[in-house]
Amino acid sequence: MPLSVSLSVDGDISVIELIGELDAHTAPEFHESIEKAAAHGTAIVEIRMHEVAYMASAGLRSLVFAQQKVVDGVTIRVVGASEPVSRTIRTAGLDRSIVLADE
Amino acid sequence: MATTTVIIVDERPPPPQDLLDAMESVDATVTRRTITQLREGPVTGLPSADVLMASARCEPAVVRDVVLRLQGRHGAPVVVVYAVRDFEGLEGHVRFGHDYLVPPFLPALVRARLHGCSERAELGRRVREVEAHDEYIRNERELEIGREIQAGFLPEQLPVPAGWEIDVLFRPALQVSGDFYDVFELAHRRRLALVVADVCDKGVGSALFMALIRSLLRHTAENSGLQHLVATPHAPDAERSGPPVVGATPLLNAVTATNRYLTRNHLRQGYFATMFFSVLDPATGRLVYINGGHNPPLLLDADGGEPTPLEVTGPAVGVLPDTAYALGYAQLNPGDTLFVYTDGVPEARCPDGRFLGDDRMLELVSGPASRGRDVLARVDSAVREFTGDGEQHDDVTMLTLHRPSSVRRAPVTTAVA
Repeated sequence: MPLSVSLSVDGDISVIELIGELDAHTAPEFHESIEKAAAHGTAIVEIRMHEVAYMASAGLRSLVFAQQKVVDGVTIRVVGASEPVSRTIRTAGLDRSIVLADE
Repeated sequence: MATTTVIIVDERPPPPQDLLDAMESVDATVTRRTITQLREGPVTGLPSADVLMASARCEPAVVRDVVLRLQGRHGAPVVVVYAVRDFEGLEGHVRFGHDYLVPPFLPALVRARLHGCSERAELGRRVREVEAHDEYIRNERELEIGREIQAGFLPEQLPVPAGWEIDVLFRPALQVSGDFYDVFELAHRRRLALVVADVCDKGVGSALFMALIRSLLRHTAENSGLQHLVATPHAPDAERSGPPVVGATPLLNAVTATNRYLTRNHLRQGYFATMFFSVLDPATGRLVYINGGHNPPLLLDADGGEPTPLEVTGPAVGVLPDTAYALGYAQLNPGDTLFVYTDGVPEARCPDGRFLGDDRMLELVSGPASRGRDVLARVDSAVREFTGDGEQHDDVTMLTLHRPSSVRRAPVTTAVA
């Protein structure tokens, strides 16, 4: 299943909206938008995942990659992740460095 | 004969009418383009053709540039230049290997020339197909070599202590894999290390990191000197912390050192591994482990009670610098089985996209614990049946550690300090 990625900047927040499945096939597209978001230099990079039904380990890697791309002090916030997706993030321990938010 | 396709360069002065008429009369398919369109227009708009026809007034090097662009898109056309009066222009083109046409542009002559050109173009396409196929075969061979080398990073034989059974099922989705397992002896064969790990993502990148992580873990564990074999468990959760355990130090060292190495040297690449690394005392069935962000293995009890998940004790390895990993403890009594797996099992997909799921997996392994190989066979056939003809999306790795009940329980020895 494909992934649709859109990036917008709202004040001091870069918002990446993901719709679809985040896996090894679709992650490269997400990487591109992360690089663009990082280049905006906003204080927060928000990744909206309400419509992400499935995230494979390649998606976890994208989140780690995102942390590397932004400068220190920038918050990466994952918003609206479904239970399975947020569990995947928590199991791997990425919730220690990424903010998981409901809304 | 299929019609010959021709791109004719349309510049001032325009191509001679008798040439255009001749091509039309022999049913050639002609597309007109300017040099600018061919050199600078979008690549996606470039037409495919057997022949590129241009006036001898066009610079040979310019024509060659156009050929190179077309080649990247559809394969190189054969160049035919024409001259109406200034025949000396032909000379430069001939040096570039271009074919030519001169008046009179009689249909029979034009047809013969185009026919020869389209045959050459066809031959060129065949050669490229063969080359592409060759390259494919070469890549396949390289991948196969990669697979063989990677197989060398998996244990050839499992050292199985008396009174125990270890079974493994390992099925990579691609030729190279990010999953791995390892079983090796520690502390002068008094302890047994069992590892199941999953490097994130897939393909060659994961496979390279698999080789690195497996080596770091094993090397560090095997070289944690005996004098350091006893660790005072570092556990924030008092319930979890137990007495000092032989084998806990190599375990802690291996995981923390690997994490440190990866976060210091490879953080930018974003590769990490989730892993379950456990050390068994074969004499007592006591297990000390670190679960670094891995799907919790299930401890299946001999009496068929609810499986006990061995929950995470720290994050995935290679993500967070300076992480403290806590130790977890478990006990395998006679008849018990430990089932360790990677996410390829619950995330197996059927062709319509549904996942096997944690609940179904739990159902499959529940019930009175049977021998490990029976558990593996049960889960494996369910995974295969569920996946059907669909593509295997992820590596599948399962390892079981079973303590047969027929063996008398060994006397419990106190850990040697």
